[in-house]
Amino acid sequence: MAEKQNISREFEVLNQYGIHARPAALLVKAAGKFKCDIFIGRKGEEVSAKSIMGLLTIEGHQGARLIVRATGTDAEAALLEIAELFENKFFEE
Amino acid sequence: MAITLKDLLDTGAERLALELMWGDGHLNREIEEKSLNRPGLALTGFFQYFAQRRLQVFGLAEFTYLKSLSSKEREARLREMFEKNVPGVIISRNRNPLPEIRALAEEYKTPLFRTTMITSHFINECTLILEELSAPRTRIQGTMLEIMGIGVLLQGQAGIGKSETALSLIGRGYSLVADDVTEMVRTGGRITAFAHELTRYHMEIRGVGIVHVPSLFGVSAIRRDAMLDIVINLHPYMNDAEEERTGIQPGAIEVLGIKFPYYELPVSPGRDMANIVEATALNYKLKLLGHDAAKELDEKVIGTFLRKVGK
Repeated sequence: MAEKQNISREFEVLNQYGIHARPAALLVKAAGKFKCDIFIGRKGEEVSAKSIMGLLTIEGHQGARLIVRATGTDAEAALLEIAELFENKFFEE
Repeated sequence: MAITLKDLLDTGAERLALELMWGDGHLNREIEEKSLNRPGLALTGFFQYFAQRRLQVFGLAEFTYLKSLSSKEREARLREMFEKNVPGVIISRNRNPLPEIRALAEEYKTPLFRTTMITSHFINECTLILEELSAPRTRIQGTMLEIMGIGVLLQGQAGIGKSETALSLIGRGYSLVADDVTEMVRTGGRITAFAHELTRYHMEIRGVGIVHVPSLFGVSAIRRDAMLDIVINLHPYMNDAEEERTGIQPGAIEVLGIKFPYYELPVSPGRDMANIVEATALNYKLKLLGHDAAKELDEKVIGTFLRKVGK
């Protein structure tokens, strides 16, 4: 059995409108592909990356620095996929 | 689709107060152009652009004009018209056909009808019937329901629970239009859905068999037809990857050339599908009323974020 990983990384929200419904849906879809638990937020207040309504409450406006934490056997792959979304500004302006 | 005089008579005899005066054996004639023509201009002798593929309606004007002609002229003009092989001739206002019309109808084997209606009313009603007869139609696999005025077509593979979901919704007071197979007819920009006459108001529930819905739930549980508004597809739950998660941009599906909102609803144990189908229909109704919850929340979120960063 693969080893359980527990990794986290900080990202900056780059797109103008922040993590509104569309980016939140992209995150949920990406996160849903993995078995590991994924959380997004700030220190002390994080939400599941598999919950749309949760993601809208973390106030991921432009410039916000958010920590993504993944625990599970496929945590590394999940983090790579989520990093791509942040780095590509969720494919918007 | 070809429409014959028999189709018109079968569907419209009552609504059009239509009586066949001659031509019983020739009712399989096709109405090539689904429209009516008043042959007034042709009767004056001008046969260019004569709409010979349409039914010809003789009203007061045609009659009065024909009567002003000598009997020789009258016969010649009418003969020229009948020679064009028009599909049929209709006389309005319950007039008796002139002897020339009667004789020529027989000679050219052109069915002759009479209506008690006045010409303009007849033309309006008959045009509607011709349109109904020629409307594009199709038969679709799916259960049709009416939920608070929203016409919902429920699709999904066999055994996914369409009929069971429909049964729950009927129990909540909504109405069944058709179970499992729905007929669709396009009229203008809308589609009317109804059940095949044979199986109408019946449904099949696995383990129970065939039930007669109004006997079980009362007449309010059924509707003869409903306008189609949305299509919902029930499918087995697979994973998060493919579902619509925000509802800001629902999918679309084309039925008889018209686009309808299309919702993919995953079915899994513990998900009460009737509840979810109901919510989908009501949310669509809310959108129609100008209140798009998903979009409004999104705008609120974006507005809050933009204020935060001082834009």
